[in-house]
Amino acid sequence: MEEKLIEFIIDEFLDDPDTEITQDTKLISSGLIDSFSLVSLQTYIEQEFGKKIPAPRITAESFDTVRQMVEVINQF
Amino acid sequence: MAYSNQTRLSYQNILKEIEDNGLYKNERIICDRQGAEVKVEFPAGSEQKELINMCSNNYLGLSSHPEVIKAAHEALDHRGYGLSSVRFICGTQDIHKELEARLSTFLGTEDTILFSSCFDANAAVFETLLDEKDIMISDRLVHASIIDGMRLAKAQHDTYKHSDMKHLRKKLEMYQDRPRKIIITDGVFSMDGDIAKLDEIVALAEEFDAMVFVDDSHATGFMGQKGKGVHELCDVMGKIDIITTTFGKALGGASGGCVSGRKELVDMLRQRGRPYLFSNTLAPTITMATMKVLDILEASTERRDKLEHNMKWWRKELSEAGYIIVPGDSPIVPIMLYDAKLAQLVSKDLYQEGVFAVGFFFPVVAKGQARIRTQLSAAHDQKHLDQALEAFTRIGKKYDILGKTKQDLIGT
Repeated sequence: MEEKLIEFIIDEFLDDPDTEITQDTKLISSGLIDSFSLVSLQTYIEQEFGKKIPAPRITAESFDTVRQMVEVINQF
Repeated sequence: MAYSNQTRLSYQNILKEIEDNGLYKNERIICDRQGAEVKVEFPAGSEQKELINMCSNNYLGLSSHPEVIKAAHEALDHRGYGLSSVRFICGTQDIHKELEARLSTFLGTEDTILFSSCFDANAAVFETLLDEKDIMISDRLVHASIIDGMRLAKAQHDTYKHSDMKHLRKKLEMYQDRPRKIIITDGVFSMDGDIAKLDEIVALAEEFDAMVFVDDSHATGFMGQKGKGVHELCDVMGKIDIITTTFGKALGGASGGCVSGRKELVDMLRQRGRPYLFSNTLAPTITMATMKVLDILEASTERRDKLEHNMKWWRKELSEAGYIIVPGDSPIVPIMLYDAKLAQLVSKDLYQEGVFAVGFFFPVVAKGQARIRTQLSAAHDQKHLDQALEAFTRIGKKYDILGKTKQDLIGT
């Protein structure tokens, strides 16, 4: 799941496809992606993993790293 | 107790943080009309300085035009100062209907509705026209007012990479099953000054049965041969479902805005648009002055032609001087410095040299993308541009910016 999320994030949000991202790279707080793009992530998670995460659980704080995202996703 | 010391302190701490980060905004006081040259007092209480203004949206130089001012005076005499009413109660005058009709003709649309500002227009559109089953697909760099407007809507929202038509196509494919889809973009993007690919967006919209929304605030009056906007430039007039634009930039610069487009969409806004229903009607002065602006634009293209000439000259000269500018065909010309501190220093020095141009840095633009955003005007004569160029060149040499690459500047 982590790898797929990283691949999606690089493809969807970043201009440079060679950017290195790990599970613990800070994505939103670093300004790498903006919090407005969280909706794309929400849709992707639903389509790819079949998990419907309610919008209040997807925030700039709870979804700052891929590791955090997986933690939230696994609760559903 | 209301507004306790604790509450006061909490805000003081936030304000201190803004200051410590070098992001505190201080207003520069203009003791003058808006124009190519303005008298500025900064900081307050200091001696006034005459500056060449390179940071206004006064693209056509109409903000202090004598005919526009005369039209506003006539409005005061014949239609009063204010209506003290929202439109649908007793706030609609004949001049409002006349202006709406004139704008529909100018923009090539079916109908138009006035708002107090384009910010209000953008706040009204999405909430009124879409419901929770619909999808808004916006460019990633749309204006703050559009972002706020989309937040008010119940429809879902997704984004496509800036001006990336392949990515937009992917999103449209993803959301094919939604009852209503709307593609949302600026016509001219306010930070980079680049232009939306409206012809390609319209083609995609037709293929996927989506509506097209364009905020043309930085385009109406001067983009396109007759100044109708980016839709004229891209030869898609009559194909944009919703155009929003402001009267607060090229079209006089006071305030006011509108939504112009398909008849049913405009009618929906008249029936249910919250800013329309709950905010005061446009003042007679602004209504009649905006019509005078349309008279001026329809009589001759000389102003937008001069603006185009100024823009081409400025872009060419700055590039040859050695600055990195974002390429494009709009009068918004960002001079890339990348480093926020450098942008602040250059802006300060420009001020000392008699040029008014502001540095933009995070969070207004992405981190590491700081710039001085210059804006051309038809009010600029060659002498203004020559003087401004000299100042930029001197300062560029001082900070060793000229002829450098992005990598060089980031390392500064």
